[in-house]
Amino acid sequence: MTGVGRRGLLAAAAIIGATPRAGAAELPPHEQELYGAARREGEMTWYAGQLSAEPCEAVGKAFTERYPGVKVNVVRSTSQVAFQRLAQDMRAGIAQCDVLSSTDYSHSSFLKREGRLLAYRPKNADGLLEFVRKAGDPEDHFHVFYIGVHLLARRNDRVSEADAPKSWKALTEARWRDQLAVGHPGYSGAIGAWAVLLRKLYGWDYFKALEKNRPQIGRSSIDPVTTLNAGERSIGVAIPSASTLLSMSRGNPLSLIYPEDGTVVVPSPSCIQKNAPHPNAAKLFMEFATGPEYFRVTRAFFNESLRADVPPPEGSRPLEQVKVIMPTPEEIEKGVPEVKEQWRDTFGI
Amino acid sequence: MPRLTLKGLGKAYGKLKVVDDVDLTLEEGEFVSLLGPSGCGKTTTLRMIAGFVEPTSGSITLNGQVLSAPGAVLPPEKRGMSMIFQSYAIWPNMTVAENVGFGLTLKKLPKEEVRAKVKRILEVVQMAHLADRYPAELSGGQQQRVALARAIVVQPAVLLLDEPLSNLDANLREEMRFEIRRLHDEFRFTTVYVTHDQAEAMATADRIAVMQGGRIEQVDAPHVIYTRPRTRFVAGFIGRTNLIEGRFANGEVGLDGFALRSDQIPGSMPASSQPILLSLRPQGMALHRGRPATGRDGVPLLAATVAQRTYLGESWDYIVHPEASGLKLRVTAPPLQVHEVGESVWLEIDPQQIAVVN
Amino acid sequence: MTETVTLPKPAIEARPPGVLTRLRYLEPSNLLWLLLVLILLFLVAVPIGKLLVVSFEQQGTGAFTLSNYATAYGRVRYLEALGNSLILGTSSALLAAVFAVPMAWAVSRTDMPGKGLTWAAVMGAFIMPPYLGAVGWILLAGPNSGFINQAWRWVTGAEGALVNVYSFPGLALVIALHSFPLIFIFVKSALDLISSEMEDAANILGAGTMTATRRVTLPLVWPAILGGTIVVFLETIALFGTPAIIGIPARINVVTTQLWQFFEYPVRVEVAAAYAMPLLLITVGIILAQKLLLARKGYVSQTGKGGERRIIRLGVWRWPVFAYCAIVGSMAVVMPVAVLLQSSFAKAWGRGLLAPGNFTFDNYTYLLFRHEMALSSIWNTLWYSATAATAAVLIAVLVAYIVTRKLVPFGSALGFLAMAPFVIPGIVMAIGFYAAYAAPPLALYGTALIIILAFTARFLPIAFANASAAVRSVHPEMEEASRILGGGRLMTVARITAPLIRRSLLGGWLIVFIVASRELSSAVFLVGPRTRTMAVLLYDLSEAGNFEVLSAFGGLLLAITLILVGIGMKLAGRDFMLRRN
Repeated sequence: MTGVGRRGLLAAAAIIGATPRAGAAELPPHEQELYGAARREGEMTWYAGQLSAEPCEAVGKAFTERYPGVKVNVVRSTSQVAFQRLAQDMRAGIAQCDVLSSTDYSHSSFLKREGRLLAYRPKNADGLLEFVRKAGDPEDHFHVFYIGVHLLARRNDRVSEADAPKSWKALTEARWRDQLAVGHPGYSGAIGAWAVLLRKLYGWDYFKALEKNRPQIGRSSIDPVTTLNAGERSIGVAIPSASTLLSMSRGNPLSLIYPEDGTVVVPSPSCIQKNAPHPNAAKLFMEFATGPEYFRVTRAFFNESLRADVPPPEGSRPLEQVKVIMPTPEEIEKGVPEVKEQWRDTFGI
Repeated sequence: MPRLTLKGLGKAYGKLKVVDDVDLTLEEGEFVSLLGPSGCGKTTTLRMIAGFVEPTSGSITLNGQVLSAPGAVLPPEKRGMSMIFQSYAIWPNMTVAENVGFGLTLKKLPKEEVRAKVKRILEVVQMAHLADRYPAELSGGQQQRVALARAIVVQPAVLLLDEPLSNLDANLREEMRFEIRRLHDEFRFTTVYVTHDQAEAMATADRIAVMQGGRIEQVDAPHVIYTRPRTRFVAGFIGRTNLIEGRFANGEVGLDGFALRSDQIPGSMPASSQPILLSLRPQGMALHRGRPATGRDGVPLLAATVAQRTYLGESWDYIVHPEASGLKLRVTAPPLQVHEVGESVWLEIDPQQIAVVN
Repeated sequence: MTETVTLPKPAIEARPPGVLTRLRYLEPSNLLWLLLVLILLFLVAVPIGKLLVVSFEQQGTGAFTLSNYATAYGRVRYLEALGNSLILGTSSALLAAVFAVPMAWAVSRTDMPGKGLTWAAVMGAFIMPPYLGAVGWILLAGPNSGFINQAWRWVTGAEGALVNVYSFPGLALVIALHSFPLIFIFVKSALDLISSEMEDAANILGAGTMTATRRVTLPLVWPAILGGTIVVFLETIALFGTPAIIGIPARINVVTTQLWQFFEYPVRVEVAAAYAMPLLLITVGIILAQKLLLARKGYVSQTGKGGERRIIRLGVWRWPVFAYCAIVGSMAVVMPVAVLLQSSFAKAWGRGLLAPGNFTFDNYTYLLFRHEMALSSIWNTLWYSATAATAAVLIAVLVAYIVTRKLVPFGSALGFLAMAPFVIPGIVMAIGFYAAYAAPPLALYGTALIIILAFTARFLPIAFANASAAVRSVHPEMEEASRILGGGRLMTVARITAPLIRRSLLGGWLIVFIVASRELSSAVFLVGPRTRTMAVLLYDLSEAGNFEVLSAFGGLLLAITLILVGIGMKLAGRDFMLRRN
């Protein structure tokens, strides 16, 4: 008996054992209809390169609570690794992934071009903020229900507000030598997008100057938050606001810095695979993730709410009030592979 | 001048006395064998001489210098001795020449000299042609020769041998016995040789120290040990013998059914009349088909019956039963002297070959 | 007339044997042999063969090309990674030898106090998954936040760091601290076999304890030192987890992390295969060199009856020697485990457990009750490892039996195949499995089967070495005594041989189970979303950067391993893991 088989049995037992849930009855009709089909599939697999591990798991749980009998296999990793796994699947001719969520635009557009995506328009997407709706695919091959807000953070006890760097540009000053921590574009799609934007702003020489300050390189964009929490470094570079706010809420002495040359916003698409082994569950998941319930769950982890009917998370500045820079899908698709190689040549890793 | 002296030497593990009050003195160039059954303490004694084991009582001195005493043990490497081990302990990672030269290089001799000495000693043990071999490529006997060469090339103050032949087959053992004696005659190192094999000890040693239960029972030249055993254990352990209980009274030794004149028996008799123990070697008696003419004066002749016989090839072994006596005596006879079981014979006893033992 | 006196022909030749007659003479072992050959080819030869073939294939078309090699060695960065791996392997192996040899000597030959503790520390270092040690050392020796450096600054008032785990020496040290038990096991068993007389013979000729140790004892165990060091070198250059966790922040790229990059989109198995070839060649080359180096000298000491084994008295040196063992032990086990445990119960590990309000069970409850994959990865790990261990031991014991009893001609070919994975780095084997079996027709990628097969193949040599030792320990006469009384071979094996070797096979099973349960280097290339093992999940968690949860998962992994080892000790004897076969 396989592990999955056993889990399936357990899930089935749970359904049989449970008293009929009121929740299922309250579903709007389009969800109710999908739910019926999804329940027969019983599970779906989500390659999640968005959110951090804990909110991912919380989303999976909330989904199963809302739709009893449909389990989410949450495979949380960095975006590049998630896509790497998908690429390995494709290479091997195996279908395992239903929904891929990555912070790298090019993943979805590549898959779309290759004809590997299932077009589906979640009804709930109508309730998303307009700029988010527009960031999705007009032909409905992918949708955005997550944006990364990437900025700077400092250790309050090491760097005062007055001394803190005010911009990306300021990071190349010599006084930040051995003070910086940053993720890796080879692992993190968001860091890739950030690198593409900064290359556009200041040219690659910016990174050569940054390298001279010996930043500590992690893998995911969240790594630097941990590094800051530990007191290993004092300035976090291109860290996601959500993880930082979550960390701050736990008592870590950090402050966000919105850089003057632009807070990086990375719209991160999610897509259903054409060969998805659980297409109905996947569609249901897209409905869930564009609906209010999803944002209520992720908001608790300080992720941006992308619906008007769910307020933004505690402690974050409304994006209308800061300068925002956002890459185009084309820039990302062309730029990220380039900056990955450039990065490895410059940073040696 | 005495060279090596063991005085009141003892080793106890807790209450168990492994070596108990051993006194032994070796003269310069003397070859002494420690002989005894396993567990008699002979190897422990040897390892105390080598410095591997610390004594719990007594002392070991060499030329007046104390080597070992409880709490003060000169480490083995500072004693200028050498040793041949039961397992040979030939280092398998070194060639024959390297093994043999090891002790010399430790003395920081010039390379040339080491090479010359190694060559010479390998010739002595007839191993010169195998100098560059590794031990794994040698036979047991060859390894033994390497061990010998390694031990004597350093010209030790004392050469110690711990059952060196016990891992060889019978033929080789005999050959190496003479080889060891030959080397000793050539180099005359003071030598202590531990063995449980009396033939080995007889063939090699100047003197044999027979040990039992941690004590030395008797130290004497091999033929004295054989002909004049002083204790019941020595008499029984060295060769075969008939141990007979008797009683000394009025210049006679009374035995079961007959008596011997005490002045014919060598060695001292007790001052007063009391029970004594005699050792009669099977070779010290002879069997005759008819009553022989009484030649020598007072040599006892007894009528006896053959009770049992064993043919050993080199001799016959008869158990005879003297008339009017409860004794059963073991007698050796030449191969051609055949008696049937139940046959009546005459038993002639040579009193000169009787020993009084304690 | 002479024809009439010819001898009668033997009965068997008198009439041509029918098929049935012939079957009577055919031992079932021949069929078994054929089956085993097929299994071993499938497990060992095909993946490696496929790897070789693929390295010369053009992606997509499969046409012959050398371009994969051009790509794999066409960039300075790739070559640097290769160089880094060699330097890292060498430094870690030497460092591990420096740790292990004195410890093995002290435990085997001297009157050092605290031998039991030293033993436990070595055992602990052996069962601790290397990547977990790496995480522990990040917490200990991060240049600013590490506890060691904090203490250093607090004591001395210095600004800088005492130690920096994110450096080449740091990486080499962390790897050495978790691989030195291999050398320890090799060297200690070799030392245990040397009769004291070997040393006594040197002593009596004038060599002091140190001289005897240097000139006799150590040279005698030189093959064990060399063998152990080589194994550590090979393990190091094939190690993935630690270089990924420490090497990336330290900006050290090595072969394994570079191989992982070739598996980034677009997956370039062909280039990865070409790039993996040096690992394979180095391994085979080193093993051959080792054989040549040790060819002539006999190292098995001649064991006579031997005297009592004499313990070297260290005198005043007892305590310094023990201190050395204690330092290595605490660096390898006590310190990393302590910081891991403390951070697994902390909300924010850097603040220390005693900081107000910092203590929590939440990291554990999160993993056990709110994390979707944690429990299933534990379950996956357990049953994959158990299945792989069972398969490996089963194959191993059949091969070992056939080879040892010389039941078929060319039986030794089976033994060779079973031992072959020993010289194949795990990561290379995983890529071979991916290349051979991931795609259709077998389409095993993402299934539990491919992981189980890879684990089985990878750890077959351990099982085989164990099984042949076990089978050899049963004298053939034990079986012959049964067969002459009418017992068939199978019945004899079942009733006589199997019960005799059961205990040591169980030991072998547990070793395979334990090493499989923590295997990362090969698993990371083969897992699918639903087949993640604990090791891979731990690696994924390390990517997410949450050290508290990561530590808690490490704590779970350690607890499970400890339980298994405990069961092993109970069933197979205290030393079952450290016995050398």
